[in-house]
Amino acid sequence: MPFRLEKRPAPSRLMLYATPFGALALTMIAGALVFSLIGYDGLAAVQQIFITPLTSTFRWQDLAVKASPLIIIGVGLAVAYRANVWNIGAEGQYIVGGLTGTWVALATHGMTGIWILPAMVLAGMAGGMAYAAIPAFFKTRFNVNEILTSLMLTYASVQLVYYVVRGPWKDPMGMGFPQTRVFSEAARLPNMIPGTIVHWGVPVALLVALVVWFVMSRSVFGYRIKVVGAAPKAARYAGFSTNATIWLALLVSGGLAGLAGVLEVAGPFQRMVPGFPTNYGFTAIIVAFLARLHPIGVIFAAIVLAVTFVGGDLAQTTTGLPSAASGIFQAMLLFFLLAGDILVRYRVRRVSSQPAAGVRAAAEAQP
Amino acid sequence: MTIGLLIAVTMTLIVASTPILIAALGELVVERAGVLNLGVEGMMLIGAVTGFITMFTTGNPWLAVLVAAIAGLLSSLIFGFLTLSLSANQTATGLALTIFGTGFSALAGQSYSAMPVSLFRSVFPAELTTHPYLRVLFGYSPLVYFSLIMVVVVWWFLKRTRGGLILRAVGENDLSAHSIGYPVRAIRYGAIAFGGAMAGIAGACFPLLLTPQWAEGMTAGRGWIAVALVVFASWRPFRLLAGAYLFGLVMTMELYAKAGGGPLTAIPSELWAAMPYLATIAVLVLISIRRDASTNAPACLGKPFLPSN
Repeated sequence: MPFRLEKRPAPSRLMLYATPFGALALTMIAGALVFSLIGYDGLAAVQQIFITPLTSTFRWQDLAVKASPLIIIGVGLAVAYRANVWNIGAEGQYIVGGLTGTWVALATHGMTGIWILPAMVLAGMAGGMAYAAIPAFFKTRFNVNEILTSLMLTYASVQLVYYVVRGPWKDPMGMGFPQTRVFSEAARLPNMIPGTIVHWGVPVALLVALVVWFVMSRSVFGYRIKVVGAAPKAARYAGFSTNATIWLALLVSGGLAGLAGVLEVAGPFQRMVPGFPTNYGFTAIIVAFLARLHPIGVIFAAIVLAVTFVGGDLAQTTTGLPSAASGIFQAMLLFFLLAGDILVRYRVRRVSSQPAAGVRAAAEAQP
Repeated sequence: MTIGLLIAVTMTLIVASTPILIAALGELVVERAGVLNLGVEGMMLIGAVTGFITMFTTGNPWLAVLVAAIAGLLSSLIFGFLTLSLSANQTATGLALTIFGTGFSALAGQSYSAMPVSLFRSVFPAELTTHPYLRVLFGYSPLVYFSLIMVVVVWWFLKRTRGGLILRAVGENDLSAHSIGYPVRAIRYGAIAFGGAMAGIAGACFPLLLTPQWAEGMTAGRGWIAVALVVFASWRPFRLLAGAYLFGLVMTMELYAKAGGGPLTAIPSELWAAMPYLATIAVLVLISIRRDASTNAPACLGKPFLPSN
């Protein structure tokens, strides 16, 4: 073998932040090849998916609206994954946050007052937290794997949406459609810039990322999360409770997913519909990894993923690429990113001279 | 309850459990080798779509199962390469595989939705498969018998063979196994490939046994339930069989509730649809209360293999 991997004394920070860009570049190259092989115009597809949404300015509002829930959920997941708590059910917490927000909107239907939206937001966050509290309770009390519980709860929450829109919350004037009534004016998230679709969830998302970044880098809470995740034994010596950290990680990520849910239902949707679960919670997992679990990185990673969504829609109409293609691109991105992780911990060395190999063989031969 | 209804319920239950059982058996072997592959759901979707397309174009169910197994195996090798050769994080890579499988199957199957295929039926003579009583023994697709045989085969392999002993040693203490001279990575590659092939076959069960068509995301989280079942069964094949049939019972009740089965309809259909997932959480909690479930887990489960030389 002409190359050999050599363990680095410490993980490379340069590689840690360079590999996401490398993964993105490789995804575009591999994507162009794969889609050419299966009979599409690969280069045009890559251009439509990754470049056009950025170059055509009228798509930017689309990007902002799609990126904001990804930022909010992704920031929460970044915190949880830092603590080594694998909350995979953000989609469920997002859905329940949307549902509890909808509950407030329906209960206050016809009323006016500036307190309604804040009440919805609080209800949404509380809903997301409560739904994340279930895996937290089972994990801390019975040591049940949080990956499985949070994921199973996601499947259950989708059924909960179907139930309420067909049953108790169904719009009586909806001509039989399974959906709630449109929220009153006071329960709708207003547009931030008139004439666009950009709502107040967009600045909220940026604010969330900044606040979490500040908390994670400047506070004892952030330090504690990182220590428990990176060195659980050292954390125990320092007196940091693992259980308390699991609770915090799940409540923060669940609450933020709930916030994204209520902003989404009060903003773009303005009512609860069966199509509310849109996989933002799953895509945000890719966002968190691509951002290297850094809250500010999440903003950029969310924009990249939002680009693939918007670009995927574009490519569908222009080059006939199926909508599932953006899912393939997202998975490839994650594969390349994970593959690139090895460069963070190892360096590639060229094995040039024969003696070196001989020495190594001799060393291996020793008992 | 009449004997006829009992037989019908039993048969529905067994058929509904089969894909979960096959996928969980594969994952059990993978986990016994010390690897946690969370990509089961994705590999099942890949198996479902490739199995369906093969069945649709050739009409040969045996070939469909074979193609699904190969497709599942190949997709599992992506996971193997990343986690074993590049020591990537197993949890994240498994999730990536599920995301990939979801996207791949949606792409491959998009022009096939709502097209019918025929089911993979029993190969026994009609006198046996339609007999009011004997059909409970002979009325199944070969895939059902395959799942039962594999329970015994996996049990026998792990418990009674040298290969099984080595595989378990690799899962319990990879560094010791490595220092004795066993090829840890190669053994884990083998286990992952087996798990992938089984997940592929499990996926093919959906169009070949349950609903004879392709629908996006048709495995509906059953791959995740299979992963949970391995924990529930504390990594033992026969307990896996019991667990899978327990889930089959829940899903059969859902089917009967949908068809308007008397008292079952008192519960909203959405709650029935959520039941397998809620039941999964319930059994995971119960098994943890009963004893410390982690004591039975392979000691190296999910941890990267990092030998010093």
